[in-house]
Amino acid sequence: MGVIQCEDLTKFYGKIKAIDHLSFKIEENKITGLIGRNGSGKTTLLKMIAGYLKPTSGELNVFSGKPFNSLAVSANSIFIDDTMTFPDSLTLSDILTEVAPFYANWNSSLANGLFDYYSFNPQQPHSNLSKGTKSTFNSILGIASRCPLTILDEPTTGMDSAVRKDFYRALLKDYLEYPRTIIISSHLLSEIEELLEDILLINQGAKCLHLSVMELKELAVGIRGNAQVVLSFVEGKEILYQEDFTKGSLYVVIRRNLIEQQFELIKQSGLELFPVSTDDLCIYLTANTKGGIGDVFSRG
Amino acid sequence: MILNTDSMKPIYVQIAEWLEGEILSENIKAEERIYSQYQLAEMFTINPATASKGLNILADQAIVYKKRGLGMFVSPNAKQFILSKRRGQILGQMIKELVMEANRLDVSESELNKMIENVRKENEEET
Repeated sequence: MGVIQCEDLTKFYGKIKAIDHLSFKIEENKITGLIGRNGSGKTTLLKMIAGYLKPTSGELNVFSGKPFNSLAVSANSIFIDDTMTFPDSLTLSDILTEVAPFYANWNSSLANGLFDYYSFNPQQPHSNLSKGTKSTFNSILGIASRCPLTILDEPTTGMDSAVRKDFYRALLKDYLEYPRTIIISSHLLSEIEELLEDILLINQGAKCLHLSVMELKELAVGIRGNAQVVLSFVEGKEILYQEDFTKGSLYVVIRRNLIEQQFELIKQSGLELFPVSTDDLCIYLTANTKGGIGDVFSRG
Repeated sequence: MILNTDSMKPIYVQIAEWLEGEILSENIKAEERIYSQYQLAEMFTINPATASKGLNILADQAIVYKKRGLGMFVSPNAKQFILSKRRGQILGQMIKELVMEANRLDVSESELNKMIENVRKENEEET
């Protein structure tokens, strides 16, 4: 069953197009990573799914209904980001108590366990928290609410790496115990990719690809070595990324299936083969500039 | 056990190889139940779908077999199978690469043999 289905979804802010004819389907109880560059429309998309924003055109169904102004979607989903605000009259422990009745699956022992583990001060107001601790606190709400649809928009903003690792483990452990549909947007793909089952990559509001992490990891391969030899292998094939390594030596990234049969030959020709990290690959696939940052400095 | 996320080897292959190692060292014996995809997911902090693919690699080679409703179990001849497979394929591939590197470095066959002998001797002395 598809928890989220969208067809030709488009969102304009005035004249600016934020989401551009997006179609995809997210299945139940999968963890999906929403990946994209800054300003690619990730947050806009997530807010439409959560029912915070109304689509301009196209179809969007969450739990088989339109999410905007939907009580069913509100009750069954949670949207966590770093701009959540709570009344200053509530302390952190008040928030944990007050939030509970809104979520049917709320697990208070888990919430309190995480709260103690991170050594929060129960009497502190939410607005006093630092950037990282605010994200940490919000992530407790995201996990403990156990919503059938859990949306985490850059949940690790500001967290130090120890807290991030704890958060990933906590999220996965609770997911294994209580499977649910989770969408995480993040810029740290290399950190979260092992948690994910699928990746949805968007670029300028449009879908770039939507496939399993395992497929993405084997989508491309890097070849490095003598420029002429490298070019002889990749000639006529679509090059995803190209970088001059040293004089006469070249690094090229191409789709794996275009060259897989020639792996042995490539190795024998003295070229090196590299896996392309999902992180790098997503950058290459969403690049709207040719070449790299180095070119800016080598001009003129 | 730490997974090497930069390796050319996909994570599910690393999971399969780690499980093979557990069978070789008899941490998991024949006819014993092997870890479930959920246990593996928790142990390695990976998505259960990835863990499941690792287990399926072993199932495809009949190293483990499914008992309905009970999970995956180690086949009686699993250890023997892994041993002969590793000797044939993996050691074979490593030797291929070794010879290629030796050629690149202009190391002659007798020199290479000598180097292998030396390493074996060192290992024997240590044990």
